[in-house]
Amino acid sequence: MKAELSKEVKIYLRHKKQKRFIENVFFFCLIAGMCFAILYPVIKLFPTVLCDLEDLGNPDVIWIPIKKSVLSFTAAWRLMMKNGWMTMGYTIGYSAIIMLVEVFISAMIGFALARVKFKGSNVIFFLVILVFLVPPQALLLSQYIHFKNFDILGIFQMFTGDTLDLIDKPVTLFLLGLTGFGVNQSLYIFIFRQFFKNIPKELEEAAMIDGCGFNKTYFKIMLPNAKPAISTVAVLGFVWNYGDTYYTGYFNPGGGYLSYILQTVFDSANKEYTLNALKVWYKLPLVNDFSFDAVKQASILIYLIPLLIVYFIAQHWLVENLENSGIVG
Amino acid sequence: MARLKKRKLKYRTARSLFGVLYVLPFLIGFLMFFAVPLVNTIIYSFSNVGVSDQGGMTLSFTGFTNYINLFTTEVSTTSATIARVLTEENSTILTNAPIIIVFSLFLALLANRKFKGRAAVRVIFFLPIVLGLEIVMQMMTENTGGDLVATRGNGIFSQGIANYLLMRYTDLSVSVIDTVTSFVDNIFELISQAGVQTLIYLAGLQSISPSLYEVAKIEGATGYETFWKVTFPSIANITFFVAIYTLVDLFLRSSIAEEVYNFAFIKSKIGVGSALSVVYMLNVLIMLLILLLLLRRMVKKNES
Repeated sequence: MKAELSKEVKIYLRHKKQKRFIENVFFFCLIAGMCFAILYPVIKLFPTVLCDLEDLGNPDVIWIPIKKSVLSFTAAWRLMMKNGWMTMGYTIGYSAIIMLVEVFISAMIGFALARVKFKGSNVIFFLVILVFLVPPQALLLSQYIHFKNFDILGIFQMFTGDTLDLIDKPVTLFLLGLTGFGVNQSLYIFIFRQFFKNIPKELEEAAMIDGCGFNKTYFKIMLPNAKPAISTVAVLGFVWNYGDTYYTGYFNPGGGYLSYILQTVFDSANKEYTLNALKVWYKLPLVNDFSFDAVKQASILIYLIPLLIVYFIAQHWLVENLENSGIVG
Repeated sequence: MARLKKRKLKYRTARSLFGVLYVLPFLIGFLMFFAVPLVNTIIYSFSNVGVSDQGGMTLSFTGFTNYINLFTTEVSTTSATIARVLTEENSTILTNAPIIIVFSLFLALLANRKFKGRAAVRVIFFLPIVLGLEIVMQMMTENTGGDLVATRGNGIFSQGIANYLLMRYTDLSVSVIDTVTSFVDNIFELISQAGVQTLIYLAGLQSISPSLYEVAKIEGATGYETFWKVTFPSIANITFFVAIYTLVDLFLRSSIAEEVYNFAFIKSKIGVGSALSVVYMLNVLIMLLILLLLLRRMVKKNES
């Protein structure tokens, strides 16, 4: 075969090969550059975090610390984990449970909106979109007052003589999750609705002919088939609840959620307090602003560990089921 | 026959009853956590809110005074006027949103190609979902003592050098160069907010039928033409969704909540805080409405 190729064809093939090679190099550079741009903020933390706390101002050091130490991690651990491991365990447990609640509720609402025609279902869907569009901050104030003097149609006032104070109680966050008003929950309802809309009608009809009632059809047929949407929503729900500082910070600041603890402990207003703690605990008289940053960054790395583990476990479902996850209309 | 019809009707009503039952949590939530607070916010914003002797709240109607005070006498936590805070917020969001959208599309296009190690690259490309969390971004990027690596390692990554090179070897004006390099300087922050958008775009790209690309290839279209004639129209709807998501997400990250909280519970001016809430909500809704109208037109054009 090869002998039959004329000179022109050979030149053409060589050019094509060269062209492909250049394209590949270009493509590889782009990918590498993008990955770098995403990872750079994390990479940048390591030289600071691994450096000795008192040696941080050293002008000779850029990337590789001379005096290495993991003290910033120890200090960060002590500052952020008020109850040791339990703090993290509690936050993970909270995020997981509220994520499950949100998935369960959003799937039900999404299913009803997608498959059942009843009067006003379109209006309700419009309301879901409206809730998604209106930033919750705008309602923060009166929601806060509402929770401070919580009552349903005067029932509690009638029995106990006073309204309930739900601020700084975990129940508030679950109440929000149970009624579809958790972190970005209207988005989950939207995703589920789009997903259930695309499931063929025959499936439901077949279940009906086989004698399944409405509930049985939903729990036995529809929900198990909704794995792509469930995995997408579950991952997003866990990540967003774990990282939430808005709802936890305003409605349950004393709840001991890791994200909110981080935000308060490492707030720049508390810098002196944190630095003094470092001085006393580890006998480091020379700690400075740099050390504060180092401990802060060490704590965020610790904070990220469970998130990254969940992310790495879950990402292959996320990517595999992407095209039918309902995220595209 | 009549019995069957009756049964069918019964089934229908049962079905819609269950439907309502399934939606009920949302309806209750909407009433308790959206409708009532919304009405209350509007009422508070038009009245002077005080504390009564019994510990409850007293309201007295004051008209637009809260709104007028908000824009004339009140200042934010950073001692800027509220009008200024709002315009700054809007302008950063309006400049960042298109860049984030284009970036996420670009990332999705890269991740959609077939190459070795694609799985690993996708893992990294979606990492901003985790790394872009507000708390993580806050803690990673804000430095009280100054950015050690950036200040000392300056050289290849610094804006100054890029500016110098561009000015020396191109004929662009200084202002153009400056805006471009400052965007590039912001790239880490912008890219960290593109996680979910990349996910949505990739889902959209994967749902385009491969036969369309085959046809384009047979017709002899170049990669460039294929993108504009096949890929782009197919994802116009998704761009619409991504744009709205991006705007909503950016507004969610804004610092207005702190201002509202500050007005209401630190300065104890609940009325002014409510007025700010209402203004902010109108601001967001109007922006989204404009975007909706603009993009509607674009999507329709592409469909026809």
